[in-house]
Order: sequence, then C-alpha cells, then structure tokens
Amino acid sequence: SYSFCTLLINPNMRAALLLACVVACSGAPMIWPLPAQYTNGTTAILINGLAFKFTTKKSSADLTAAFARYTEQTFPHRPVGTSGIAVADVTVTNPSSELQLGADEAYTLSVTASAITITAGTQFGAYYAMETLSQLITFDFDTQQYLVKDGPWSITDKPRFMHREVLVDSARHFQPVASIKNIIQSFTYAKINTFHWHLVDKQSFPYMAPSYPKLAQKGAFSKYERFSQNDVQDVVEYARQRGVRVVVEIDTPGHAAAMCEGHPEICPSMECRQPLNPTTNATFDLIAGLFKDLKEVTIDDHFHIGGDEVDTACWTLTPHVATWMEQNHMTPKETYGYFSGRVSQSVFDMGKSVTGWEELWDHFGTKLDNRTIIQQWKRGSKIAKKAIEAGYRVIWSTDGVWYLDGLHVTWETMYEQEPCNGIPTESCDKLMLGGGGEMWGETVDTSDIQNTVWPRMAAIAERLWSPRTVTDTNAAAPRIAYFRCLLNRRGVGAAPVNNKKAREAPSGPGSCFDQ
Amino acid sequence: MRVLPVLLAAVAACSADPMIWPLPSSFTNGTLTIAIDGRNFQFNTTTPSDDLTAAFGRYRAQTFQHRPVDIGGLFTATVTVENPFAELQLGVDESYTLSVTGSAITINAPTQFGAYYAMETLSQLVIFDFDTQQYVVKNGPWVINDKPRFIHREVLIDSARHFEPVETLKNIITSFTYAKINTMHWHLVDQQSFPYDSPTYPKLSKMGAYSNFERFSQNDVKDVVEYARQRGVRVLVEVDTPGHAASWCKGHPEICPSPTCTMPLNPATNATFELIEGLFKDLKDATIDNHFHIGGDEVNTNCWTSTPAVQAWLTEQGYTADQAYAYFSGRVSDIVFGMNRSVTGWEELWDHFGTKLDKRTIIQQWLPGSTIAKQATAAGYRVIWSTDGVWYLDGLSVTWETMYQQEPCTGIADNLCDTLVLGGGGEMWGETVDTSDIQNTIWPRMAAIAERLWSPRTVTDQKKAAPRIAYFRCLLNRRGVGAAPVNNKVARQAPPGPGSCFDQ
Repeated sequence: SYSFCTLLINPNMRAALLLACVVACSGAPMIWPLPAQYTNGTTAILINGLAFKFTTKKSSADLTAAFARYTEQTFPHRPVGTSGIAVADVTVTNPSSELQLGADEAYTLSVTASAITITAGTQFGAYYAMETLSQLITFDFDTQQYLVKDGPWSITDKPRFMHREVLVDSARHFQPVASIKNIIQSFTYAKINTFHWHLVDKQSFPYMAPSYPKLAQKGAFSKYERFSQNDVQDVVEYARQRGVRVVVEIDTPGHAAAMCEGHPEICPSMECRQPLNPTTNATFDLIAGLFKDLKEVTIDDHFHIGGDEVDTACWTLTPHVATWMEQNHMTPKETYGYFSGRVSQSVFDMGKSVTGWEELWDHFGTKLDNRTIIQQWKRGSKIAKKAIEAGYRVIWSTDGVWYLDGLHVTWETMYEQEPCNGIPTESCDKLMLGGGGEMWGETVDTSDIQNTVWPRMAAIAERLWSPRTVTDTNAAAPRIAYFRCLLNRRGVGAAPVNNKKAREAPSGPGSCFDQ
Repeated sequence: MRVLPVLLAAVAACSADPMIWPLPSSFTNGTLTIAIDGRNFQFNTTTPSDDLTAAFGRYRAQTFQHRPVDIGGLFTATVTVENPFAELQLGVDESYTLSVTGSAITINAPTQFGAYYAMETLSQLVIFDFDTQQYVVKNGPWVINDKPRFIHREVLIDSARHFEPVETLKNIITSFTYAKINTMHWHLVDQQSFPYDSPTYPKLSKMGAYSNFERFSQNDVKDVVEYARQRGVRVLVEVDTPGHAASWCKGHPEICPSPTCTMPLNPATNATFELIEGLFKDLKDATIDNHFHIGGDEVNTNCWTSTPAVQAWLTEQGYTADQAYAYFSGRVSDIVFGMNRSVTGWEELWDHFGTKLDKRTIIQQWLPGSTIAKQATAAGYRVIWSTDGVWYLDGLSVTWETMYQQEPCTGIADNLCDTLVLGGGGEMWGETVDTSDIQNTIWPRMAAIAERLWSPRTVTDQKKAAPRIAYFRCLLNRRGVGAAPVNNKVARQAPPGPGSCFDQ
C-alpha cells in the first residue's frame, strides 16, 4: 500500500507540516471543497496520462469542450510510460441543460483499479466530477506517472448550497475581460458557480449600453476601460461553458453617481448626484433600458438591483426633489421604497427575477415581491433570519467576515462562518440559497485581484459546498495549504495561506506548503 | 470622462512618441485612421513554417480580443520571412519592417522571430474603438523599421527560493513577448531548494526539493524550452556553483565540505565535478541554447578553510581559498565548453581569472558600482549588464524611472559597446516572490529595462516615456498580466483607491 502522504512528504519537510500531513492523512482527503460523501481505500491506481480520454454515449458541445479542458487541466506534465487507466466513462442524463439557479450539480465519481466512472444529471455535475477527479489524480515525479492514491474511491457529491458566488467589482477599478475570464476559470477549481458582476458604481460606468451610450462614453474611467455588448456576451458564454452563472448588478439609487456624467437629468443635480433622481420617468426609463440591454446579452433569470447604502441627503437638499417628495407625500425613506419598487417591477416585467441588498427588506418587509432574493451584508444583521421566517429566499455575504476586501480577515475566520446560525434548520435548508465572497474593488485591479480573492475564498467555497458538519479548521489547514499550492500550479496567484493580512508577499524563501 | 487620460491621450497624439512599447528604432507615421476588419483578419505568407503558422494564430487572438460589429477595413497582413525556420540562438536576426497603409499591411523579416516582433508591434497599433465597435490603426500610414539595440534582453527567474510552477513560467514567458524580452535566464537551483529532477542524479531533487510537488521533470524543462522557443524566447539555464548550492547536499552529502558546513561545494573530490558534469549533460538533453550559465557568485570560502579535509586538500594543491575558487570554476567552465556549450557567469569569474578566462565566456555584471563591464570589454570579452540596486527587480523601492535611466554602456567606448555589450536584463530574485506576486513585482518596472535594451540609446526622455509606460501597463492588464500601478513608489503595492488604470 502507498499512503497519499508519501507523495507529499520528503525529508526536506519541516516537522510542523509533517504533523499536519499525518493529521490530514488520518482524515480528510486533499480534495477541495470536501465532497458530501466518499469512501476510499489504500490502493494506488495507475492512470495513463498520455492517452487519457473522457468518453460518453450522449454528448453535447458543452461536454465535448469540457472533456478537452479537463484533460489538459488534469495532465499538465508529460508522463513516461503508457500503462494505467486511460478512459473515464461519463454518463449525463441531460448534457445540454440550461444553467440557472438550482441546476442539478450532483455527481458520482468512482475510481477503481480497472475503471473510472462518472454519472451526473447535467453537464454541470459532470464538470464537478471532472474537477474532483483532477484533484485526485497526482503526478508522481519519481516514476513520472499519474496516480490516484488511496483508492478505490467512491464519491457521491452535491453542493449544500445552490448559490455560491464571488462578487467582482468592475467599477472601482476596471477589470478587463481577460482578467475576468481568468478569475472565472479559477472559480471552477473551488466549485464556485456564480459570478456576481457589480458592473457600475459611483466611480465609473464601464458598460457600453447600446440604448444609452453616453453613460460609458462620459462615465467610464477612459475609452479603454469599457465593456462592449459583445464583451458582456462573451464573458457570459465563457462562464456558462464552465458552469458559472453571471448575475449582473446595476446598483441604484445609491452608488450611481457615474451615470450623471452622461445623463445629468437622472441625478438630483451635478453638485449632489446620488441617489438618482426619483422625480422623473427619465430615470426609470433609463434603468429599465439598461436592464433591457443587458437582457440581450445575458442568460440568467436573475438581475441584482442593488439598493444598498442609500443616503437620501441629496433628495432632501435638492429643492426640486424635496418639492416633489412633498407633493407626493413621501418621506425620503418612502421615496427609496418607491424607487426600488419601480426598478424591481421593471425587472419582473421583463420576465426576470430580482435580487437586492438587505435594505430592500428594511423598507418593504413582507411587501416585497416574494420572488425577491435578499442579500444579507451588514455586520450583525438579522435580516437572513427575519426574511427566511417570512418565507423569502436569502443569500449570505456578511461584511466583516465574507467581504474579501477585509484584508485582516483570515481564512479561518471565513471558514468558521455558518449562514444558518440562529435559523431553524428546516427553513434554512429551503430558503438559504447560499452566499459568497465579495471582492469590492477600491484597492483591487488586475495586479492584485487573484492574490486578494485567493486563497481565502476557498474557505467560503467549502462552507458553501460541503456538509454543515465540516467545520474543523485543524483538519482543514493542511488541505487548504495543499489547495493553495494546487491553485499556484494552475497559474492562479493565490497568496500564502498563513498570511495574517491578505495578499501579502511570502516573507522569505520556502515551500508553498509552509507559507 | 476623466481629465487626466484625455490629457495623456492628447500628449501622446501631439508628442512624437507613439503608444508602442518598446519604442521602435525608426518609424514614420501620419494622421490617417485606417480601419481594420477584426472578424476576418488573417496573416498570410508565401514562406510558411510551423512556427509562423502557430504565431499567426496567437497574434490574431491577441490583437483582436473584442468581437467587432463593424467589419470594414483591411483584413490581411502579408508576411514575408527569408528564413522562417531559423534557429533561436543569441544574436539571431530579430529585425523587421512593418508597413500599415490605407490599403495594405506588410511585414518583412529575415527570421520568424523578427516577424513575431512585427506582429507584436502591430498588435499595439491596432486598437478597438468602443464607439464604433471597430478596429482601427490611428495616425497612419505607418512605416516601421525596427531592430533591437541589444541582442540579449533577459529576465532572470529564480525557481529555487520559491518554486515557480510550469504554468507560472509559461505565463511569465508570454508576458515577455509583449515587451520584446528574448531571454529567460532560469536560475534553476540554489541554497534553499533543488527542484530539478536530474535523470542521472535523482536524489538531488528527491531530497533537495521543497516537496514532492515542487519539482521539474525532464519533460517539464523541455516543455518550457519549447514554449519559449515558439515565442522567440531563449532559455538560458543557470546552475550556480560553488556557492549557492547547499540544497545539493541533502541528496549528495559527499559533494559538500561537511554536514554542518555545506557551501561552497567540495572541490577536493572528483565526485563533485562528475555530478556537475552529469547535471549539465542532463540539462543539455532538455535544452537547445548554446549557452549555459555557471553562476560563480558570492562564494564565501570559510567552509573550505575551516573543514579539515578540504583545507588539507588546499594545502596539498598549494591553493589559497581564492585559487581554489578559480580552480573550481575553471573545471566547471571546462565541463561546459567540453560539451560544446558556451559559458556565461557572474562577474566574480572575471575577478579571479581576468584575461585567463576563456575568450568565449560571457560575463554578467551585477555588483553595485562595479566597473567589470568596462574592464572586461576593454580586454575583448562580451558582457551582460544587470546591476544590483537598479536592475534587480527585488529592489522594491527602485522605480521604473530609475531603471529607465540606466545605460549599460556608460563609460564604455562606442565601438566596444556595439560589439561586446550584449545587453542585460532585470533579475527577479525569488526570496519574496512566488506565483502570487511574480507578475506584479516584475511588471510594469521591467518595461523600463525592456525599452532601454531594445530602443536606440537616445531614447531617454522620461517625461515622454511616462504616458507611454502608463499606457503599456494598462495594455498588460488588458492582456491579463498583473502589472502593478506605474506610480507605485514601492513595487507591487495595491492601487491606493478607485481610479483609472492610466492614473495610477
């Protein structure tokens, strides 16, 4: 028999890591995130990395493309020798499934001494099976062959939560399409399935809306820092092929000052720009127009309408808005409700569903359309509990713990979070859709997005995928260290796991596993 | 739209220097906007080769990243290469001419490598207009006659202080091509780790690598070499001895003075030199470059004089410690020349051998304040220049402006400069550099060195370079390269707050 640890350990290794490895080998495998259910053994199984093929009886364009991607991802080193299992047989009930919230992502993966078998309901489940397989298969530098250690493996896996996101902010800094694609690719390694695209904000408006081109012409940081309609479509397709939904957020009425450059009429005044001007239909026509333009190039059933951090001072201080509120007998708070209600309605009217920040619940409570998904974000918030009690669906991404721009939040703290804390299990299981890590972009551009998101996002990824009982940070430590090194081997700039502060450089020479 | 980028664009348009990095050696242009068909564009040639065909695919994808809507315009570039099967070695012809007129795009080059550089330049001339969703070349027609000032333009990558996975190396090599860097100086092993799986001496990495995952197989090395070659990048492998070699002792304690005093390597036994020879032979199998780098820097000989067996040998040979160093490096040098490869080494070699050094040896100057380059070229030796304090990329407080101001031929006669100063590069020592921060530590500052090595000596005006390097940094970002903000006072720091790529 051949312990998995033998592959990891060499005599050069420090005692601490040796110990961690022993702990890991006595328990959980080096698969991240941890599968829902698995059994394994002690046999090393040889894999033919030169001629390996995924096969299937019922194919699709998506599956074929995925087979090519995962073959390349799984076998990065040219091996010597051609023995071992050379085929993984894949059976997918519907390999051309649509990617929407709640798509079936379950799979089974079996690796025995004679065969590798994958079954899944959709191509997305098959992707996750292949991802897991790509982590099981390791390259043995001594024999220059691929192996699966500690087999045979029998894995039955599915995510605990169906909504597992990273928010990427392309407004505080422009994020070029190449950078976005690289980040989406990295999501697949941790089974993240949603790219929450915070498209625009106060500082810049990069989206070239066909109906309102002046928004980006005047509001983007520069003429190079823009997304064309085709760019958005390409990102959506790139993500879809990888099982990643794209939920686009247009945040209003706050966080919208960049819109004023191109369309001053939708702002209270140029001296007091946000929240947007509620007094004119022009504002709502524009917002609806934006969502319509986005509807052309996106496929998800959901849009995010924002609605957070609305400081209504510019409404009360701007005479024409104050007058309008008075005439319509609305307080600023009620005006916020009116505003978000109209935006929400226009999204529902175009056949899409609405997600918004928790302030929506603050203002509407149970008057909110019950299709609305509420995103909890405030520290100490009880919104998730209340909204779920009232039958609403929630996603959880609390500031202070799951905000990735909180540089002093360690992976351990992120790992310790439990979205269902304080919420009755039965209703949480039904209504807590998941959540994610929010990569606000104030200090994040292409130069540091990867090392700020990773490796800490892995902690959130496991919390969202793996069973609720998977909470032991001691057991997770060697596994996340291993996963960080795997990310690096795949070209993802994941920072040292032991960083007390995110994205710092390694402090000195050393092994990936020790830092 | 923000004020500053408009200003920059205006400056760029009004000043003589275009947004091409590095600046070509000679060019003329005009005021014409030329439409390019980004959907149907093809490179065509009557002188094909596998290399050229692969390059056409790469550059096409690189140049046209956005799907255009309007597709009128030039849809072909005619590429003529005298020898599209040229071998990639030091001094290979990298020149090209590129012409973009209202009716045609034409590229001519003696080798496929020159053609790559032409396509790189073209990929910087062709821009996507978001308003019309069309590709254009501005300020045409362009006639560019370009070639590098220096033939050796390197980045040193250190895979021993931190392991750098193959994928990381490939990403870095691709980024080199954007700035016309043509050499990856692979500092393969060092004191802290030995990641290379030598087929003849497998214990070196089995015991000396950081872990079983942080290793390079022989095939990995071959794959990196071929990946680089296809992109016109030489791979110059360095095996640094006799100092910087403590990690070798784990697998082969016999080649080290003692278990408690491990560097420099033990000169008193043939086993040491047999091993070094075996290593270079293995590497010769996996690489194609005519040159190896034998290191030879920072040799503290205490472990020789304080280890009885080694001191005894020194006495027997009648060597001072210094002479033993010369003996050591001399033998290693002979080994490499003996297998028909040429030798590059750090400047300490010149310190010890002076004009006794084999004339084919290339000397790499690195010590701050060193005058080695001047001395060695005066004696007819070739040098490369990468001085610590200014071109060491791990000097985090060294700004791009300081790097741009360096002139390798300072104090060296023109005729010697032209023939014997081969070039130089940026040295990315890896003590605090791994996959998470290699890109933002190298870039954008390496661009300053890249221009110094490619462009004519007279291209020194920082004020003119500033908007161009800002533009280039954003171009790198648009290509997925994690280049840090240009205005950083300390390398690789995060942007301080929201803003345009061009402003930071």
